[in-house]
Amino acid sequence: MQQPNKLTPFFENLNFERDDNTMVINFGPQHPSAHGQLRLVLELDGELVTKAYPDIGYLHRGIEKMAENMTYNEFLPTTDRLDYIASTSNNYAYAHAVEKLLGIEAPRRAQVIRTMLLEINRIISHLFFLATHALDVGAMSVFLYAFREREFAMDLMEDYCGARLTHSAVRIGGVPLDLPAGWTEKLAMYIEKMPEAIKMYEDLLTENRIWKMRLENVGVISGEDALNWGCTGVMLRGSGIKYDIRKEEPYELYSELDFDIPVSDRCDSYGRYRLYMEEMKESVKILKQLIPMYFETEPQLMAHAPQYISAPKEEIMTQNYALMQHFVLVTQGMRPPKGEVYAPTESPKGELGFYIKSEGEPYAYRLKCRAPSFFHTGLLQEILVGTYIADVVTIIGTTNIVFGEVDR
Amino acid sequence: MRKYTPKDNVQAKSYYTDRFWVAPRVPKEAVEEGTHFEKVVAALGAQVKEAYIQVGQLVMHIEATENFQVIKILKEQCGYTQCSEQSAVDYLAKEGEFELFYQLLNINEAKRVRVVCRIKKDEAIESIVPLFKSANFAEREMFDMFGIKVNNHPFLKRIIMPDDWEGHPLLKTYPLQGDEFASWYEVDKIFGKEYRNIIGPENRDPARIDRYDTKRFSRIGYEVPFGADISGGETEQPIEYSETFMVNYNKSSKQLDERK
Amino acid sequence: MAQHQVNYASSAGLPIALTSVDKLVNWGRSNSLWPLTYGLACCAIEMMASGASRYDFDRMGTIFRASPRQADVMILAGTLSKKHSEFARRLYDQMTEPKWVISMGSCANTGGMFNTYATVQGVDRIVPVDIYLPGCAPRPETLQYALMMLQKKIRKESADMKKNKKQNLRLV
Repeated sequence: MQQPNKLTPFFENLNFERDDNTMVINFGPQHPSAHGQLRLVLELDGELVTKAYPDIGYLHRGIEKMAENMTYNEFLPTTDRLDYIASTSNNYAYAHAVEKLLGIEAPRRAQVIRTMLLEINRIISHLFFLATHALDVGAMSVFLYAFREREFAMDLMEDYCGARLTHSAVRIGGVPLDLPAGWTEKLAMYIEKMPEAIKMYEDLLTENRIWKMRLENVGVISGEDALNWGCTGVMLRGSGIKYDIRKEEPYELYSELDFDIPVSDRCDSYGRYRLYMEEMKESVKILKQLIPMYFETEPQLMAHAPQYISAPKEEIMTQNYALMQHFVLVTQGMRPPKGEVYAPTESPKGELGFYIKSEGEPYAYRLKCRAPSFFHTGLLQEILVGTYIADVVTIIGTTNIVFGEVDR
Repeated sequence: MRKYTPKDNVQAKSYYTDRFWVAPRVPKEAVEEGTHFEKVVAALGAQVKEAYIQVGQLVMHIEATENFQVIKILKEQCGYTQCSEQSAVDYLAKEGEFELFYQLLNINEAKRVRVVCRIKKDEAIESIVPLFKSANFAEREMFDMFGIKVNNHPFLKRIIMPDDWEGHPLLKTYPLQGDEFASWYEVDKIFGKEYRNIIGPENRDPARIDRYDTKRFSRIGYEVPFGADISGGETEQPIEYSETFMVNYNKSSKQLDERK
Repeated sequence: MAQHQVNYASSAGLPIALTSVDKLVNWGRSNSLWPLTYGLACCAIEMMASGASRYDFDRMGTIFRASPRQADVMILAGTLSKKHSEFARRLYDQMTEPKWVISMGSCANTGGMFNTYATVQGVDRIVPVDIYLPGCAPRPETLQYALMMLQKKIRKESADMKKNKKQNLRLV
């Protein structure tokens, strides 16, 4: 037997023939279908999972601690790295919470742009889900097709903010930039093509015999369990509970927009897959309504709150008081009022909320990020039990977890 | 004189605060008659110490020992069927207490309630996992990050940090960077403590110049051969000017004149 | 690769090319670099994008492998946390020689924006790195460029791995 020492470690992750004749298998943290750095310790009886223990924290970066040591505007780019598949939804959730704390509201044009970006991010995230989920289940070609459309959506984001992945496209109190010239035409072209693409994915998958066999009746969660485990977003709606924060507790322009909330009573992975496809169609519908709304708005982009938010560049360059305010806000940071706030938003993964405790200092006293994936990972310890090992990957895929926000 | 930094809170602080500055407060609204929130407060009765509405959500301060009963009533009688979030805030430096909060959601009414309680440093809190399974991970995270013990939790163990980690990172006494154990963790774990000297401390500065590195850097006035070991300090070499041993063209131009 | 056509061989109808062993081996190594699918964080998404339809890594002979035993290159894509560092080193040890490491993104290079207690401040504390790839997150083109730079580096090396004393291999 090999002698373990520190430089040539002896690691054994399989443990055969224990007392009860079950096998303990280690899944991850480096596993291509673990969606990041999930480590699962599974106890198997033959092919049947008898116990599952999700081990997380392999991507813990101390983001909540960083929030306590950064001013509010400094922290905003860090939120990109939470759910890095749809960065703008994190930026928005954070900015939304701080705006509620400050009691300000973004001007209407900023709201239109934000809603547009949020919905593009939803499409990006859902396409990514489809691509990786199909790849995990074994449909390689869907991965290539879905990434093709995703790249076009990324091009739109890149045209707007210059980054492909880490957008930081939303600021506290508005958005930094107006839409570039010709952007809405590109968006219109994209949303015109998108339904065809979605139809192609559905043709490939929805009635596909293998796809149905792999997904139907796999990962069944009842509505009551979903609520109890803190599931939100598609995980909740896939279990027959119609709750979407965009509809029930509307923020931004969602109260003015006409869109449906798809719900499925199937409670299984297949139902959730159908919901993701339907949600993409709804996002396209929302984007269609937003383009004419954009042209009806005034060109103001940032809220007017000189105590918290710097004035526009022209004013800083021309007016003395605006320059002084800007100087104080940059060097010291804004000081929000004393109090606490919890603001939920509907990110592509579920309910993404920020709890901020402010003591009136430029640094948040405590910031807690309520990440949907964290609770979906907790769910794994229950729904994996009693399934076969081949379904484990399907169930992890269908929860659509992202480890940036699980571990933070 | 070295700058004084308080040991009980090592987080970043504002470097200048106006003496006369008073922080404004987020407005607290009273619970109005006939609303949903009024029924919630009425259902709990005397268990609520203080109740107000802040940013559209009901905040209720309760006694820490009653957290299980209060949340049970909220779940069974008031329809708060989801626990969205559960965590703590560290007030040890100021008040010697932790503030715990439970964020609950009523799906049918689309209303949110925050239940807040306070515990002393070494006190434990009752687990609400029998009511909400989502609290399983949330309470484990709270234990990991703050060291708050939770009674009757099914599996209270570190969740995010490794099992052999020292300290609880979200405490105000824990620094963001520069903790001795944390900064050497990966070296100790993989190679062992004896490799600390070889690998060296954390260095984030890619432009750092190591004066003892004779392969990539050289110091003017201390010329040493390529790759020589100068860890004991380099020998100074006096700077020689060409005037001292070569023809000084500036002073005397005799030789040049002769050549001409 | 320098090829020397030999006249008398071709006249006999035999296609012979002469080269040195170094060049032949390195030609093979550099044109079939198989990276390990080791997605750590945000950069992993860009790594996937570079393997997907638009950027298409396969045309460079680069096919992602899920097992470290089959991989030549380890692309450390993203933040390496302290809890994960042990596993990163173990995966590196499991890879067969010759092996190379690309550190992708600022977090892997120096810790990046995460100067915190939980992040390894540069993966070169754990494994020897050949290519440092800046960016947060680097674009897929950048990763492809890094891979081309690695190919260039491999072609300069000797086929005998013992002679290639790695500059930054200070750990072993």
